[in-house]
Amino acid sequence: MTDTEIALRTDGVGKRYRKGWALRDCTLTLPAGGVIALVGPNGAGKTTLLRLIVGLLAPSTGTVEVLGHDVTASTPQTLSRIGFLAQDHPLYKRFTVAEMLRFGRACNLRFDQGLAERRLAKLGIPLDRRAGSLSGGQQAQVALALALAKRPDLLVLDEPVASLDPLARREFLQVLMGAVADGGVTVLFSSHVVHELERVCDHLVVLNHGRVTLTGDIDTLLAEHRLLVGPRTATDLDRAGAVVEAVHGDRHTTLLVRDGGIPAAPGWQAQPVGLEDLVLAYLRRPSEPGAAVPSEVAA
Amino acid sequence: MTWLIWRQHRTEVCVLGLLLGVFGIALLVLGTQAHDLFPGGPARCAGTAGAGETCTAAFRRLDEEYGYVENLLAAFYLVPVVIGAFLGAPLLARELEDGTWQLAWTQAVPRMRWLVAKLAALAGVTVALTGMFTAVLTWFRQPFDAWEGRFQYDAFDLEGLVPLAYALFAFGVATAAGAILRRSLPAFGVAFGAFLAARMSVALLARPAYATPLTTMEPVPAGGTKGQAGAGVADWVIERGYADAAGRRLSSTEYYELEDAANQAGTNLSQFLHERGIQRFGVYHPADRFWTFQLIEAAVFVAVAAILIGVVVWRVRRRVI
Repeated sequence: MTDTEIALRTDGVGKRYRKGWALRDCTLTLPAGGVIALVGPNGAGKTTLLRLIVGLLAPSTGTVEVLGHDVTASTPQTLSRIGFLAQDHPLYKRFTVAEMLRFGRACNLRFDQGLAERRLAKLGIPLDRRAGSLSGGQQAQVALALALAKRPDLLVLDEPVASLDPLARREFLQVLMGAVADGGVTVLFSSHVVHELERVCDHLVVLNHGRVTLTGDIDTLLAEHRLLVGPRTATDLDRAGAVVEAVHGDRHTTLLVRDGGIPAAPGWQAQPVGLEDLVLAYLRRPSEPGAAVPSEVAA
Repeated sequence: MTWLIWRQHRTEVCVLGLLLGVFGIALLVLGTQAHDLFPGGPARCAGTAGAGETCTAAFRRLDEEYGYVENLLAAFYLVPVVIGAFLGAPLLARELEDGTWQLAWTQAVPRMRWLVAKLAALAGVTVALTGMFTAVLTWFRQPFDAWEGRFQYDAFDLEGLVPLAYALFAFGVATAAGAILRRSLPAFGVAFGAFLAARMSVALLARPAYATPLTTMEPVPAGGTKGQAGAGVADWVIERGYADAAGRRLSSTEYYELEDAANQAGTNLSQFLHERGIQRFGVYHPADRFWTFQLIEAAVFVAVAAILIGVVVWRVRRRVI
């Protein structure tokens, strides 16, 4: 991967709050273009990682490089290339929608007012309404329109649909994916639900207990992993550390392995694994430092 | 940025402007009437000239007709804290409690530029509003000041430079509290409490010590109680009392014993004290130290404000918030 193809690179990034480490040893290289999902349970450190990426927080250890620039420098040029939609899509509640757009215009080097107005008109959101009086879904759309009007190269969204009802959720994702299709923006978003990710995402980062436990291109990850089902056995079946998880049923043992698809032993049946099962298996793994972090494959 | 700052803070600025405008106009109207009692201006009756017949008459009318206003002015002690805390508390706290700091600081304006612009604009408004109101108040008090000097608490604390420093101090406390507590209303409360505590302790404990006070000592006149001990009316008297012939200050019990002795002897108290060589003393700061004291007190409050603003800048710069 050359520098121009890298949207984001973190090296040994950690963040310590007064209560302890929220994020440790996070080393990632994420490709430009496409959609990256950051998945993890609540409290895994997703928000912390995203805030570090957009420069809202400074890392306690390590470095964060976005589009080839150190984000802690926070120059207007770097800031204008990153769009951010925070959790619960905050807006100035007493501003009208038009004033929110004026805010975006006043605070950015480039701001595509026409684009934002067209998007909002299409969604039927009136410009003279106060942001606080809009529905949650509409507020999320206004926040998204603001972020997209910056024409960012990297768009970061923190749990963008978590607070929306199913209808608004679908509408929001449609607009988002439409925007991705339109231009060469890289989208990084966090989510605690794995459901439906397969359809919209190209790349996956799994975060658990403040550590990255899995990262890679989704197609590659699915090709590398598979389920092996065989007779129940208690012996150690780990061939060269390839077993991610072993589940023992009454009569059968199911192994999730990452072995790149070498022929299965006699008596064992190989099955492809779904993305949700894959992610859940990694989330269930104990989080002892080092051991749970497989080496980077896709990058 | 200018538009954004105005849009975000126009409500506070307008409410403050309206309130101060109403009070200011009332003061201007009443003040014009009070000034009219002094043909040629109240300054001509200041100091010893105030003992003249026309001046005494003017002062009497001033006291009768406008004395009540002077008592109400005490409420204006709070003007600097209302202005400073009202503008400072929401500066960061509102962004933090609404989550909009994440919106504001991810646009192309770097957070330090954002912060400096906001601090400068709102501190500027704080100084401008307080300054205008203080100018009106200082003018309004001219007749009263001619009468009692400018060193009493009800004049010194409302006039000149110190109200601006108090307002900046309140602004600094409110902004820093807002940054740390992340809530506007508690930040406002903290600023209010800190303002009262700091103002009271400085005025009562620190201010008398800005310079070494002067002391006068004179024998008790045989004739009676007429005349003050040394210091003029415009001077700031910190302490008064009695001393024996050698200049040793008498405690209150010692003085009461003398009083009892005079009663038992059936003599006039002044006469009694005079005969024993008792002296009256006064510890005071002369009136011409007014501006020195104003500068010192203003410097103290501005310095604390600067430190607090420094803490805010440090926190935002280090991305603690």
